Amino acid sequence: MKRRMHISLSTVLVASLLGSAAAYAEPITVYTAYEEDEANAFLEAAKKAIPDLEVNLLRLSTGDLAARIIAEKNNPRHDVLWGFALTSMISPEILDTLESYAPQGVDNVPQRFVDDENRWTAVTGYMAAFCVNKPRLEGAGLPMPTSWADLAKPAYKGEIVMPNPASSGTGYIQIDSLLQMMGDEEGWAYLDKLDENVAQYIKSGSRPCNMASAGEYAIGASFALRAIKNIEEGYPIAMVVPSEGAGNELEANGLVATSENKEMAKKFLDWTVSQAAADVYYDWKAIVTIPGGKMPQNFVDAGLPADIGSVLYDVDFQAAADDRDQITSEWQKKFER
Amino acid sequence: MTTLAPRGRATSDAAVGWCLTLIVAVPFVVFLVVPLASILVRGFETPDGLGLQNFTQTFGSARFWDLTVNSLAMAGLSTVIVVSLAYGYAYALQRTAVPLKPFLRIACLVPLFAPSLVQAQGLVLLLGRNGFLNRFLGFDIDIYGFWGVVIASSLYAFPYAFLILSAALAVADARIYDSAEALGAGPLRIFKDATLPATRFGLVSACFIAFTLVVTDFGNPIVIGGDFSVLATEMYNQVIGQAQFGLGAVIGIVLLVPAIVTKLLNNTLSGRTHAIITDGARPLTIEPSPMRDLCWSLFVYGLVAVILSVPLIVLIASFTQLWPYNMAFSLRHYHFDVQNGLAPFKNSLIVSASAATIGVVLSTLAALVANRFRTALSGPIGFLSILPSAVPGMVLGLGYLVTFNDPANPLGFLYGTLTLLVVMITYYNFANAYLTASTSLGQIGKTFDEASTMLGGSRLTTLFKITLPLLWPTMIGMWVFYFMRTMVTLSAIIFLITPSTQMASVSVLQLSDRGAINQAAAFSICIMAVVVLCLALVRGLLILTGNRHVALIR
Repeated sequence: MKRRMHISLSTVLVASLLGSAAAYAEPITVYTAYEEDEANAFLEAAKKAIPDLEVNLLRLSTGDLAARIIAEKNNPRHDVLWGFALTSMISPEILDTLESYAPQGVDNVPQRFVDDENRWTAVTGYMAAFCVNKPRLEGAGLPMPTSWADLAKPAYKGEIVMPNPASSGTGYIQIDSLLQMMGDEEGWAYLDKLDENVAQYIKSGSRPCNMASAGEYAIGASFALRAIKNIEEGYPIAMVVPSEGAGNELEANGLVATSENKEMAKKFLDWTVSQAAADVYYDWKAIVTIPGGKMPQNFVDAGLPADIGSVLYDVDFQAAADDRDQITSEWQKKFER
Repeated sequence: MTTLAPRGRATSDAAVGWCLTLIVAVPFVVFLVVPLASILVRGFETPDGLGLQNFTQTFGSARFWDLTVNSLAMAGLSTVIVVSLAYGYAYALQRTAVPLKPFLRIACLVPLFAPSLVQAQGLVLLLGRNGFLNRFLGFDIDIYGFWGVVIASSLYAFPYAFLILSAALAVADARIYDSAEALGAGPLRIFKDATLPATRFGLVSACFIAFTLVVTDFGNPIVIGGDFSVLATEMYNQVIGQAQFGLGAVIGIVLLVPAIVTKLLNNTLSGRTHAIITDGARPLTIEPSPMRDLCWSLFVYGLVAVILSVPLIVLIASFTQLWPYNMAFSLRHYHFDVQNGLAPFKNSLIVSASAATIGVVLSTLAALVANRFRTALSGPIGFLSILPSAVPGMVLGLGYLVTFNDPANPLGFLYGTLTLLVVMITYYNFANAYLTASTSLGQIGKTFDEASTMLGGSRLTTLFKITLPLLWPTMIGMWVFYFMRTMVTLSAIIFLITPSTQMASVSVLQLSDRGAINQAAAFSICIMAVVVLCLALVRGLLILTGNRHVALIR
């Protein structure tokens, strides 16, 4: 009886939904934290450049993927770690799984975005930005904020949501860039003031923007790409890049030391630093470290300046990674509710 | 052993008991104890070898105790609410003549097969600061915080409690009620002295399931909790936010405490439960009673309206251009541009149907071993059966990863296969199925066994001739539960999926991660539609095989 149900479910009912599983020749397994639509666009371009490339792609959010890689450490299953937050990548538990490899054409990438030992190359990145719900702001009669300093003004009390730096990488980047920018003393004093205005610290980096988009709160501190996508979706929000300089995170690639298909893995990594790759990056990413591309119109429309370097804060990523435990625990002690 | 032993009946019964015990116990060790131990042992790992440093650090922080209080208060209150409401609901369905019972049975299970994303999004759309009630009806509710989590958790745990309580109330011996009435007892007295004691095991089980589910869940507190944090969200912070497995494992171990307490409680309780269906029992027939049925109808339909309002508003929003800013009808969210499109549905259905089938067989066997074929291992098996509900999905998933990705594990070949996903989900959802089976089993009197024995039948004969025929409607309900649950399980499986074993619930996560919230909701609606379709199919199958009277949910 049970057996029969099983068969009927897995064959009859599902037959119409079946997708065919292609047979792969020498595929490589790639783990990525790129968002699913970005990753697919990039892969499509990569396959054009490398016709015999077959990629098995596993996509998870940065935190989930980091946990998985650390747990798999004794027997890694992937060949390439691709598009992964740099401050997580340079934590020893993950860095140890990577092998030095300077991709062919790595000279396209400015030196400061490449590891001294060539274990990683950072080609793209994302930056902090506020999502501001225009109807809600107008309803409350508030002016459009333009800076972190504005957010600490009493008028915005209770209308700001931010990611919790203990659970979200975006949240950590925001806090850490403020501390690097202002110095410890002034930085923590500012966070004290900001804290009075924050309605919620949310445990995800994109949700503050989604909440502002849905009109739950007026201002969500999040990252630029989420703002741009939500504007495209039609939500009545404005993107504000804080005038002090936006905190940012780079996304890097590396070769996994245990890979058994290094030849193809290296070919793929070569492509990730190529000019052809940069061309697709520019369609999707606010930050591309390979120069020479053009920002797409929807980014400009959303309010990003053509010279993105002018609004980015120059984050010290090594320090950001080193200080992470100390800053998050200090933050938790002071502000976690 | 069987071939050497003399073929006396007692010996063969004992042999059957041990056989069944081993069938249940061996996989328990391989697929539950080992994976759990392999991850929780991280709690004892410190930079200088094994030690208690993580524990002293955790227990020494004031924050940990604040979070413990938060967790206990939130889960405790949710449990009281859920179990009271679910008891009333199950009572109305089993003991009164409220109309449209088949609808009520399925409708109250909707939170089971709505992915948690849908539930959370629905609550925000309904009760958020810019939600339906505030925006369109002029309320002024702030849902984020303690009460939001209590409401969300209660909705989440309701179907679990209902399934167990429904099984507990399903059977009754009419003779007891007839004599009580003949002796002049009022309805309250009858409830207190006849109904309540007979369902005590179910009540305790339901309380345990509700409490552990709520206390280990981090999805609801993350979305609706605002700044309200609990132990489960702290574990999420440690493991996913900061990759601190050691501190996360300590909380994982702390979360096992309710299971241990329940096991100890149960040992003292189970001695006092008594069977309802004995050889002379007569099933209860429900006489219509207009006033009583009207009152109960108001209650159950009111409750079901609340339960359904959450997925309903997501359904409506998924067909809206841009809720709440542009309310025009639109199908645009149903143009899925997620990788693999609808293909992961195939994997999800195979895994769900397999896990349901294996899960029902194993959990029924476990219930039989723990309650009928008692062996020296019955106690531990009973404990291991309820343990999974105290384990957060993240912990079990990481435990499986560490165990089966180990090159030294002879079962390592399972890593990366759908089979391992099936096995993990089987154990992840084990407790509810086991308790449902045990509840039903506890009501079938042991006198049948004694009678069979006296008439010369073995206990195996009794099992097939009497116990299983009485149990199988419950087993169908367990299968449906497993199937629905597996279709939307997420937190456990993200550590086991590979590029070639994608699941539909993961697609929902991908869409929501990249900000396509409305598309994610639409995709969830499709999952729910597939589940409903499958249930209709199973129902059709039952009718075709001449079992029209058997309900999917008892």
